[in-house]
This record gives sequence, C-alpha cells and structure tokens, in this order.
Amino acid sequence: MTSYVDRQHKAKLGQPSEADLRLKNNRLGMTIFQISWIMVFLAMIIVNWQLRFSYSEWPPAGIAPFDPLGPSAATVALLLSALLVKRGLQALRVKRIGGFLMDWRGAMIFGFAFMAVIVYEFASVSDAALATQYGITMRLMTGFHFVHALAILAVMAHVIRNGAAGRYSGDEHDSWAVEGTAKLWYFVTLAWILFYVVLYWIR
Amino acid sequence: MATIAVPLGAQGEQVEAEALRRPALSEYLRWSVDHKIIGVQYGVSAFLFFIIGGAMAMLIRLELWTPELDLIVSGAAYNSLFTIHGTIMIFLFIIPMWAAFGVPLQLGAKDMAFPWLNAFAFWLIPPAAVVVLLGYFVSPAEAGWTSYPPLSTLFSGDGQTLWALGAHLLGISSIMGSINFIVTIFNMRPPEMTIWRMPLLCWAVLATSIIAVMATPFLAGALTLLLLDRVAGTTFFDAASGGDVLLWQNIFWFYSHPAVYIMVLPGMGVLSEVLSVHSRKPVFGYRMVGLSSMGIAFVGFTVWAHHMFTSLQPELRIPFMITTMIIAVPTGIKMFSWIGTIWGGKIRLNSAMLFALGFLSLFVIGGISGVMLAALPFDIHVHDTYFVVSHFHFVLFGGSVFAVYAALYHWFPKVTGRMLNERLGQIHFVFTYFGFLFTFFPMHVVGMLGMPRRVAVYVEGFQAWNQLISFSAFVLGFSTFIVIYNVIKSYYHGPIAGANPWRALTLEWQTTSPPPPMNFDDDPIPFEDPYGYGTEASAAYLAVVDEAFSNGSTRASEH
Repeated sequence: MTSYVDRQHKAKLGQPSEADLRLKNNRLGMTIFQISWIMVFLAMIIVNWQLRFSYSEWPPAGIAPFDPLGPSAATVALLLSALLVKRGLQALRVKRIGGFLMDWRGAMIFGFAFMAVIVYEFASVSDAALATQYGITMRLMTGFHFVHALAILAVMAHVIRNGAAGRYSGDEHDSWAVEGTAKLWYFVTLAWILFYVVLYWIR
Repeated sequence: MATIAVPLGAQGEQVEAEALRRPALSEYLRWSVDHKIIGVQYGVSAFLFFIIGGAMAMLIRLELWTPELDLIVSGAAYNSLFTIHGTIMIFLFIIPMWAAFGVPLQLGAKDMAFPWLNAFAFWLIPPAAVVVLLGYFVSPAEAGWTSYPPLSTLFSGDGQTLWALGAHLLGISSIMGSINFIVTIFNMRPPEMTIWRMPLLCWAVLATSIIAVMATPFLAGALTLLLLDRVAGTTFFDAASGGDVLLWQNIFWFYSHPAVYIMVLPGMGVLSEVLSVHSRKPVFGYRMVGLSSMGIAFVGFTVWAHHMFTSLQPELRIPFMITTMIIAVPTGIKMFSWIGTIWGGKIRLNSAMLFALGFLSLFVIGGISGVMLAALPFDIHVHDTYFVVSHFHFVLFGGSVFAVYAALYHWFPKVTGRMLNERLGQIHFVFTYFGFLFTFFPMHVVGMLGMPRRVAVYVEGFQAWNQLISFSAFVLGFSTFIVIYNVIKSYYHGPIAGANPWRALTLEWQTTSPPPPMNFDDDPIPFEDPYGYGTEASAAYLAVVDEAFSNGSTRASEH
C-alpha cells in the first residue's frame, strides 16, 4: 500500500523537534500578547488625550502641575530594574545561576522602589486636581499600571524561588518561565515610559 | 444543474464500529485540552445562547404585535430585554462561535499551539455568561448592548455593572483564543503547506484573530472606565466634571466596529470552503480572497466613527464616510470570488450548499444597505430606525448565522462520523430563509418610514408591517427546532459518513470521522492546491487517500 505520506520529502524539509516547536510557540505567543495588551495602555493614553479637550488648558486652570521629580527617579529605578533583569537572563544563558539570582533580586528591589514612589504619587494627588480629569486620569493610569507591575513582580518572586531551587539549567528549553517573565517586565517598563511621558511631560 | 457528482459515502468508506469511536458525551462536560472537544463545547454552548437570545427575540416580537405595551410590563423591562438579547447574541453567540474544531485539522496539526490556553479561554465563557445573565435577573442593564453613557452610568441598574464584568471576561477569553489561533496558524502547519496553500477558513480565522488581539484591548479599556464610573465614583463620562460621553463611543466603537468583522469573517471563510467543495471547482482568485480578509481587517480599524455620524464633529464625517465605503472593496472581492467559484460548477444543492447560497444572497443585501448607511445624508435620515436593525440583522443573521448553519451541515459528518438528514436540512433551509427574509426585509420599509428602533410603543400605522414581521419571526424561530431535531436524531441514527463524504481536498477530510485523538495517524501531506478540484492530480490524490481508508484496515483503525 502506498502511504500518502511522502516520507523522503518530509525528511528533506526537516521539522523542528517538539521542544523547539514549543519554545517557538511560546515566543510568538508572548510577542502577540505584548502587541495586544499594549493596546489597553494606548487606550488609556487616548482617554487622557481626549479628556484634555474638555478643558481650555492642561492642567486645568488653578491646578498645580504634578512635580515630575519623584516619577523621574522612579522611572530611572524601573529602567535599572529592567536592565538587571536582562543581565540576569544573560547570566542564566551562560549557566551562571548565582549571577542570575542576584541580578533578579536586585531587579525586584528596584521594582519595589519604583512602586513605592508611584504609590506615594497616587496618594498625594490634591483634592483640587481630583475634582478634574487631570487628577482622575493620573490615578487611572498609575493605578492601572501598578496592578500590572505588582502581578509581574509576584511572578518574578516565584521564578526566583524556582531558580534558587535549581529548577532552571540555563538551557533555553527549560527556562522559558524566566524568559517569559523577563519579557513581561520589559513590557511593564515600556508601558510605564509611555505613561510617564504623557502624564508628566506633555502639557 | 443539481447533479450529485459522487454518491455519499461511496468512497473513503469506514466501517461502522470505527465511526462510532467517538468521545462519550460526558467528555464534553469536563475540562479537556483536546481541541476537538473544545470546538464542540464552543459550538454547543454558543448554540444554547443562540436559543436563549432567540427566545428573547420572540418575546420582543410578541410585544411588538400591537402598538401598545401589553406583554411587557414597562418600557424599562423592554429596554433590558433587547439589551440582553443583543449582548447574548453578540458576546456569547457569534464572537465565541470559533473555529477551534476545524483549524488545527485543516492545518494538519495535532492540536492548537497552546491546548491548555484553548481550554481556559473556553471555560471563561460559562462564568461570564452566568454573571451577565445574573445581572438580567438582579436589576437589569437597560442601555442596549452598546451601553452608551449616561444611560449606562446614571440610568441603569446594578445589572449594568455585572454586564461590564461579564463582557470583560469574554474579552479576555477572546484575546487568549485569538493569540492561540495566530500562533497555531503560523507555527503548526506542515512544512509543505505554505501560506499560499492554506485553506481560506484559516486565512479568515487569521484575519479575525489579528482584529481580536488588536481591538479587544480597547473594549477592556472602555469597560474599565465604565466600571470605575459606576463603582469607584470617577467621572470619565460625566460632562459636569469634565468628562466626555463621546469618549465611550470612540473607544467602544474602535473595538466594536472591527468586532463586526470578528463576527462575519470566519463565516466568509466557511463560505469559500463550502462553495468550492460543493461546486467541484477551485476557488476563484484564491490569493485575492486571502488578502481581502487581511484588507477587511486593516480597513476595519479606520471606520469606527460612522457609528457616531450624528454626534461627530462635521469635519470628520466625510473621511469616515469614505473609509466606510472603501471597505466594500475587499468585501466585493469576496462576493465576486464566490460567484466566480460557483459559476459553471457541478453544483450539489445539498443543505450546506443551500445555506451558503442563502448567505450569498442575503449578505449582498446587507452589504448594499451598509453602503447606503455609509452615505452620510441617508444615514442621518434613517439614524436609529428599523432600517439599521434590518441592516445589521442581514449581515449578522443572513451572514454569520447562515454560515454557522452551512458549517454545521458541512462539518457535522467530520465531527460525529454521521451524516445529517438531508431532507430535514432542506426543510430547515426553506423555513429559515423565508422566515428570515420576511422578518427583516420589511424592516427596511418601516425604518425608512421612520419607525424608531428600541421602542415598545409605536405609531398605529405600522401595525400591519409589524404583524408581518412578527409572524415571520415566529416561523424563523420555529425553524430552529428542525435543526435541533435533525442534529440529535442524526447523532445517533444518521448514516455513517466515512472519512471524506464530500470528496474534499483540505486536510481535515484526510483522516477518519471523527478524527483520532491526535488527529492524524501519519503526518499528513496536503495536496498542492487546497481547492484544486476537477484536475487529474486531485483525483489521484483522493484515490490514494481512499485506498488508505478502504476496508477500515489502515493504521487509522489499528489503534
């Protein structure tokens, strides 16, 4: 019986192994997720932008603009944190598990520093500002970002615990969790930079 | 013209015992990561919601039998009825009615790229449905499925909050399902299946998924604002505090207009499959049809403000009118492709084909009334009238639901291993087609005469029209019982289908019906042209596959 599968043809084309395919799927899936979910952040920016048209000036008359000093320091902390995440991932790729753990713990510390500043900024919006969309959209955007950052930090803590338990050899097939978490943290960083520019610099 | 080229089940026959090797019904009630189970779960649950939403439509039509309020106690109760009808039909029926069963099979894949995510996306739907329906029984949302503030913020009960929560969950489900489809389509094809050899249903699902991942986050954003306004005391939609009601319309329609294509594009993919297979002819202009799906996806993002013509700044109206009319171009490409495909073909007028032809004739009416509505002066005249109701039922029922039925008659043999009853299918078609036509076509007339939508009380002069519409709607509602009976009866007693009852070339037919757990026992090799019917090469390909399935003695049956 002739099989309708032309095996020679198949061998010639070559197919990825199951593990390779899974990694390929994970990476593409993560990219699509990032492109998709950044749209929610863009939607929030559009909200901020459209609501500005309700007022003749921005911030509205009589409202003091937010001081960008604290958020700028927080942004630097977040960028450092993302850099440490990247460095940790590179350390893992060359099988330096200790370096990976140290970098990621550092990244978490910077991450929490960032969040502490944001919580402070969120809490210290004046009542006058909160009576206008200037204060409300600021709380919407920082709060929405905060929820994401908190969730990813929790995942990072989980990954660090697994890493300390020796779960990742550094081979890219068994450390997708690390790579994926790193990509989510870059996502959080990028989303914040968009918000930071819109909230504190575009008047 | 109506020649049946090949007797059903004459070739590619399977032994009965093998065809009965299908999952136990209890498997469908449990968590499963098999896309074939999940596909059926999607289909059956969506159809249940279709019946619930349809029953509500029957109540609406019963109320509209007379110009006064009689059946429904108050205008508010009527508002919540059409709100929940629209919500169920759109968010719970058409958008989730996904191709989870067919796509991996058509691609020759063992499963979706992320089987667990596939199951998770499905299992978000039942809790979301419970939340939405619970809202209806608590204190119902009254703002229509579009939930415009301030209706949805100031004048609607707590059910509106639950509505927003449920829609949020459904949006997340839709995004996860779509990511899964895109990755599956890009990564899981066999190497022989280049992007230009991909079945058109997969092209359509790819375009649909791209729309869903890009647009649905905007729904999430809009719903977040609505929830905060209702629960946390923010004022995004309250003009008194610097908010803007148009903000909702902008963001909501930036999702919901593309979502219209989420609803209809898979149906268009189904149509290309069914028309080609049952006309025994290649798809006319295959590449252009695939690209036109992408074209619709792209242009679909530029037209949203045509839903806001009457509230839009005047200088923005003309650009949106133009983009809206441009979207008729990729849609027209599909239309001409379908007509070109059946032109001169050996048409089998079976139920699947009848519903596909029904789609073709009704969707063209919906498309033309769409271009009429795109024209600004006309749109302002018929704004918020029954003309609009007629238009979107022609594209969503005449389009999507007819495609769902065509898909049901076409793929039921693959899913269950048994054929549906052909005669009942044709009776079902006659009732559905004429019931539909006489329900929704007269709405054009009453709409142009000025009958507003979303009202329970109307001018007496419209009563005769409304009685015609209601009577036809009951015929349409009755037709659903025929297909339900047919499905249940055929599931147990239908004739054995065999692997490839339609002599189709796409890969889902090159395995047993129903397919084995991993879909294919071998790695399947797709035919060089998924729609290359009528060539010697395709006959040879089918002959080889037939041989593999003859006497039930292939590897497929040795498990």
